Amino acid sequence: MKKSLLVILIVLSLTSCSKSVLDQLNPNAMPVSQFWKTEDDAQKGVNAIYAMFYQNGGWNRWIYFRLDLTSDEGMSKSPWVELADWTRFNYVNYNFFEGNGNTWKDTYKAIFRANQVLKFVPDIPFADEKKKAAILAQAKFFRAFYYFYGALLWENMPVITDPHLDDPGYTPPAGTLADVWTQVERDLNEALPDLPVTWDNPNVGRPTKGAVNAYLARMYMQQHKWAEAKTALDYFFTGEGKGLYQMVDFKENFRATQENNAESIFEIQFSDANKTGEGDGVNANMGSNRTQFFAPRGIGWSDGQARFWLVQEFKKEKTTDNQIDPRLRYSLFYPDQEKDFGDKIYGRSWEWGADEAWFKKYSRDYYRNNEDYYSEVNNRLVRYADILLMYAEVLNELGQTVAAVPYVDQVRARSKMAPLATAYPAAVLSKDNFRDRLKMERALELCGESVRWADLKRWGDLESQQKVDVVAQRDPDFKNFTVGKHIRLPIPQTEVLNNPNLKQNAGY
Amino acid sequence: MCRVHCKWYLSTFFFLCTLFNVVSAQNEQTVTGTVTDERGTALTGASISVKGTSIATVAGENGMYRITVGGNGTLVVSSVGYASQEVPVQNRSEINVVLRAAATDLNEVVVVGYGTQLKKDLTGAVSVVKAADVLKRQSTTVAEALQGLTTGIRVRGGGQPGAEALIQIRGAKNLTGTNPLYVIDGLITDANRDFNSFDIQSIQILKDASAAAIYGSRAANGVIIITTKQGKSGPMQIQASARYTVQKMPLYDLMETPEFMKLNYQAYDNAGVSRQKLDSTVNTDWQDVAFRTGSAKDLNMSFSGGGNSGSYYVSGGYFGNKGTVIGTKFDRYNLRVNTQGSKGIFSIGENLAISNANVADMQGNPVVDVYRLLPTIPVYDNTHPGGYGYGDEQKARTFGTNPLAIANIVNSGVDNFRVRGNLWSELKFTSFLKYRLNLGYETSRDHYKYLKKDGFWTLNQSYDPSIANENRASYENKLVENTLAFKEKYGKHDVSAILGQSFQKQTYAQIWGSKRNIVQDASGHYYDVLDQGDGGQLGGYRQEADLISYFGRVEYAYDNRYLINGVLRYDGTSRLGTGHKTGYFPSISAAWRISGEKFFNVSWISDLKLRANYGTLGSSNIGYYDPFPVINTFPTIAMGRDQHIEHLGTQVKLTNPDLRWETLEQQNYGFDVSFLNNKLSLTGDYFIAKTRDVLYGAPILMTTGNDGGNPLVNALSLQNSGLELALTYRGNANAFNYGGTLNFTAVRNKVLKLGYQGNDLFTGLTRTTVGQPLGLWYLLKTDGIFQTQNEVNNYKNSKGQLIQPNAKPGDLRFVDLNDDGQITNSDKMDMGHAWPKFETGLNLFGSYNGFSLTMDWFGSFGAKVINGPRIAMDGFSDNANYRKGIQPWTPENPNTNTPRALYASTLNSRGDIDRWLESGSFARLKLISLSYDLPKEWLTKIGFTNAQLSVSGQNLITITKYTGLDPEFNNANIYERGYDFGAYPNLKMFSVGLNFGF
Repeated sequence: MKKSLLVILIVLSLTSCSKSVLDQLNPNAMPVSQFWKTEDDAQKGVNAIYAMFYQNGGWNRWIYFRLDLTSDEGMSKSPWVELADWTRFNYVNYNFFEGNGNTWKDTYKAIFRANQVLKFVPDIPFADEKKKAAILAQAKFFRAFYYFYGALLWENMPVITDPHLDDPGYTPPAGTLADVWTQVERDLNEALPDLPVTWDNPNVGRPTKGAVNAYLARMYMQQHKWAEAKTALDYFFTGEGKGLYQMVDFKENFRATQENNAESIFEIQFSDANKTGEGDGVNANMGSNRTQFFAPRGIGWSDGQARFWLVQEFKKEKTTDNQIDPRLRYSLFYPDQEKDFGDKIYGRSWEWGADEAWFKKYSRDYYRNNEDYYSEVNNRLVRYADILLMYAEVLNELGQTVAAVPYVDQVRARSKMAPLATAYPAAVLSKDNFRDRLKMERALELCGESVRWADLKRWGDLESQQKVDVVAQRDPDFKNFTVGKHIRLPIPQTEVLNNPNLKQNAGY
Repeated sequence: MCRVHCKWYLSTFFFLCTLFNVVSAQNEQTVTGTVTDERGTALTGASISVKGTSIATVAGENGMYRITVGGNGTLVVSSVGYASQEVPVQNRSEINVVLRAAATDLNEVVVVGYGTQLKKDLTGAVSVVKAADVLKRQSTTVAEALQGLTTGIRVRGGGQPGAEALIQIRGAKNLTGTNPLYVIDGLITDANRDFNSFDIQSIQILKDASAAAIYGSRAANGVIIITTKQGKSGPMQIQASARYTVQKMPLYDLMETPEFMKLNYQAYDNAGVSRQKLDSTVNTDWQDVAFRTGSAKDLNMSFSGGGNSGSYYVSGGYFGNKGTVIGTKFDRYNLRVNTQGSKGIFSIGENLAISNANVADMQGNPVVDVYRLLPTIPVYDNTHPGGYGYGDEQKARTFGTNPLAIANIVNSGVDNFRVRGNLWSELKFTSFLKYRLNLGYETSRDHYKYLKKDGFWTLNQSYDPSIANENRASYENKLVENTLAFKEKYGKHDVSAILGQSFQKQTYAQIWGSKRNIVQDASGHYYDVLDQGDGGQLGGYRQEADLISYFGRVEYAYDNRYLINGVLRYDGTSRLGTGHKTGYFPSISAAWRISGEKFFNVSWISDLKLRANYGTLGSSNIGYYDPFPVINTFPTIAMGRDQHIEHLGTQVKLTNPDLRWETLEQQNYGFDVSFLNNKLSLTGDYFIAKTRDVLYGAPILMTTGNDGGNPLVNALSLQNSGLELALTYRGNANAFNYGGTLNFTAVRNKVLKLGYQGNDLFTGLTRTTVGQPLGLWYLLKTDGIFQTQNEVNNYKNSKGQLIQPNAKPGDLRFVDLNDDGQITNSDKMDMGHAWPKFETGLNLFGSYNGFSLTMDWFGSFGAKVINGPRIAMDGFSDNANYRKGIQPWTPENPNTNTPRALYASTLNSRGDIDRWLESGSFARLKLISLSYDLPKEWLTKIGFTNAQLSVSGQNLITITKYTGLDPEFNNANIYERGYDFGAYPNLKMFSVGLNFGF
């Protein structure tokens, strides 16, 4: 009996209870409490915002459906009817993830990352305060960047500037379009002084003063604050950025061969180093899915294609040496491509509809016969040609039409197109005529580069039924467009239902 | 706090040790005899004890026993699965005892946590399922075989090889993992597909708080206790069983090419879209391509025996299932060794099971693809790279996957090698006090392998090279338990108590790697090892969790009339937030045997007992590290002119640091009554279970920026209340034995509190709101079909606004619930839910002269379900094959409830409308089985002890209005349990079996 008791006692002591057993350290990841301590942490924190370029809701995939396909430049014949419906104002389920929820979610995910940097980095000691300021400025730039595109899409969205890390149940107050613009303006103006004119080679790809000014200008232009926009754009013509940028070979804006070139003001660094899925996993994909979704049927998913009027418009005017506008060759895949330029499409002769076209920009048919989910071709979000056309637009709106003309001519000249005064004499005669021609100039130069939706909104082309009818002649999807409603997306319904402060956008 | 418990435990132990003395013996004589069952089969291992003493023995070879007992003493004879009997000795020296199988008998021995009880002494709700009933069915897992056999459980499975069934005890009590806790021979584990049902001796399901309380924090979803077979004293017995099963897939009734083309053209014409160039020369039956007759082989053999000081049971088994979908299979090899031995007060034993299970995965979902593909698509098409037929932009616009192509191009599967067992030893200090040490160990070594060869299976498939990936994982579960059990009788007072401590550690680790462009030789063979290929990716992680527990139970009975039972368990887990890691879970239960009272004198009632109990259980069935926020450093970015890789760090997922136990408070009121000398018995229970602080990922706003799943939060309270009734009858007339059980379960689920803000929760097609069951279907209501343009033009709201201006005759009319003149999300309404009003099982048996017939019916009534496949087949919006004979609305065919066919429009085919809502009620013949036991006279000539031939059929008859493949489908999503996404259906099965022993 005594022996047995001894055995029991030994066993009990072997399995003695200690509280520390219950405090298991997660061996897989650093606790938040151990992060945000060093300069390196700050750098990693800001890098995390760049990684949002690689996620589905944004510039990896779905935002092109909003900015390019929903505009009159693009369309969808996807057999995934709901996906196509979301490019033609047929919004039924406001939670539709691919059309709405994912982009909303990734917008706020990026903002959350910026907010983490802006909350924690100020308290991290830096040897060089300038470096710290530049990190904070990058975070501000990106917060503004994501609110800018959010403003284009949903307009009225909550403005959140704190990560609310300890409060997953946080329900932010509603925000109006004006609130969003105010935040974008504040962040960009705060970022501007602390970002460099250019970065050293290892940091090319981070926003410069040029990038900030470009987005300042875009933001002011959307609000028709032309004078402020001019001030921002002056950076490129009379300011520090003067002479820094120049136009390059047109096609080199859409290929991996000359990335971060002289025309580039801000571009997304895509890489095919990780051929994996997107997201927050180990070695997540750093490439773009765009061309896999936009390549012609049989090559890519062909969930998006270009409207044929673009082809017709390109063909309306020849170059000064009587050739087809070379921009057509590198902007679109279209039926006569082989005949006009001797180019096959991903190694194939035209096998698609006689009135069909696809976006060629960023495609890789210049060196391969297929696409995949890992395109390494950088996306030039802002390039100098756009700046020139923006400047022209701003000057024109400020009544300086004559001064505006040379900026358009510069862009045209690169493609051997005659000066406006020669090609379209009437266009240089009045502000309105100039604006009308500029709209087309922008389409020819920038089609498929995700600026068209902002352009249509800015020009007021979607503000009356009469004007929408004109757009609908180019893109019949606009027959579904209800003025005052479809100018902005519905907010994902779950967000409205689960946040008592939020109201659904008007008309939805 | 923890140290206090150690002290408390030890001091109680010493107290118990010193309090009681050994009981002295009385005047004695020796009694011998045999213990057999009703068929005369020796019950080796039956226990024989002298009532009121510690004297006990077990029946040896041929059921023989010898025991020393007082001449006026009483023997208590019991064996698991049989009704125990009390036999007064009355100075006899030979007593032969015949035990009856415990079908209706309240004297059945029931295994409860850390001990056994007689069924008549139960104060909680415990269901016992006979191993024999489970073994009659061909199933991969135990859970799947339980359907309809008892009250209070909801089982949903499917026919996919290696599929695990989902089992829910007494309603959905939380949202994280509703599978119950499995305890196999004292090891806390999971009776998954690795486990061989052949080894089961008994199954008991602990359903209420008092029954399950001894498992405290693990038991909120109920507990299923499985004991495996042990050897019995006597010469070696060999039992063998073999069963062959043929499996049949239920099929859709789909159109062939001519009928399909007509309707497809109609859908295009109606939409004003130019017709696709369908190939009328092809007529493929894709079901014939994807599905096949499945089969299962289940072979088992066991060897068992023992002597006075020990016993052994060794079994080996093979289960092989060729799936009804091409390319699928499941194979399992099992070995079990259970042994025990004793010397004096010391005994030791082990239960060890080794299994290797291998599953070949189903690729894609052919259950869906067979209708997504058009009959005009050929199986093979040489114009496609790789040579398989699939959708085509001009000829057949569908993105369905060619099931043959994907099955050949992609191969994946997992191998699980599992060792599961425990080693125990017992010291029986005195007749009333024993100490037990239980060391449990389980490990699973998993190897997953995936190879995608070059090739294409769908239209517009993205270009990917060959890809291989593998992962290897190991899971370990270690358990150390010390228990001290006391059991004694003082006159009319029965007292038993148990005191214990338990420590469990679970670890999991995995490494994975993948490569692309796997090397292939001229014969087409791929060298699919990770040394080959390029673009390598790798990763790995590990996890560990600990649980420390102390528990005690006291049972007291007075004169078999008043029974009271109290349990207290203390748990500490590493998974919960700092300061919230520990919890107490008490329960109390009582029963009153009215039939034992003197005043109770109803001759036709043999036994009547009332039960009531109240208890608290906990649950922390969450991830290993959920309360603790971490920095994600996994993705990288490209940066700089050289596009070098830079690292990042950010918090991706928000957490709630204060995660605490979810607690289940359950009240149970029940009765057990048996009539007519126990021939007829009725058990009834009513329960109310409230789960508070349910841990779940309550949806949070996307504006938080959170990703990687909603953070867990204790933000939900649920109530499940229900009624369970089981009526059993067992009778015999001469050689004819017959009987049946009717069981009935009704559970009502209600949300008491919800989410951060108490806002309604919208997931998929459901709304969850306080006061209602989880997951109400939230849909647009349709109101017939517009027959004329006039009807469209007259369909206005109260302000005279045209509600559906774009509709045409033949389109659906939707109810404008909010009368705003348009059909929007705000017009959705609650339209029932997927929880059945009641489920019922009817099990009938009869046997005569060696023939036995069993029939198990199961019915589920009142659920509303969404028929997902029908959205595609009847929708016409996207190309898919259609159901044979369907005739959409046309001006010539106006009397239909199928609206006009319209390609590329969601006008009539959006997913969130009541058009797809169907009754999920069904009744099904789960099993019909006929067996024949060969007569003993024949068998003895060839040296066999028993031999049985059987034929059976499963799921042969289903009575339902559901138009999908199977109303008994499984959807793991708690909110959308009733959404059939093209679930792998339950199969019709025909089996022949042979069991014999010698």
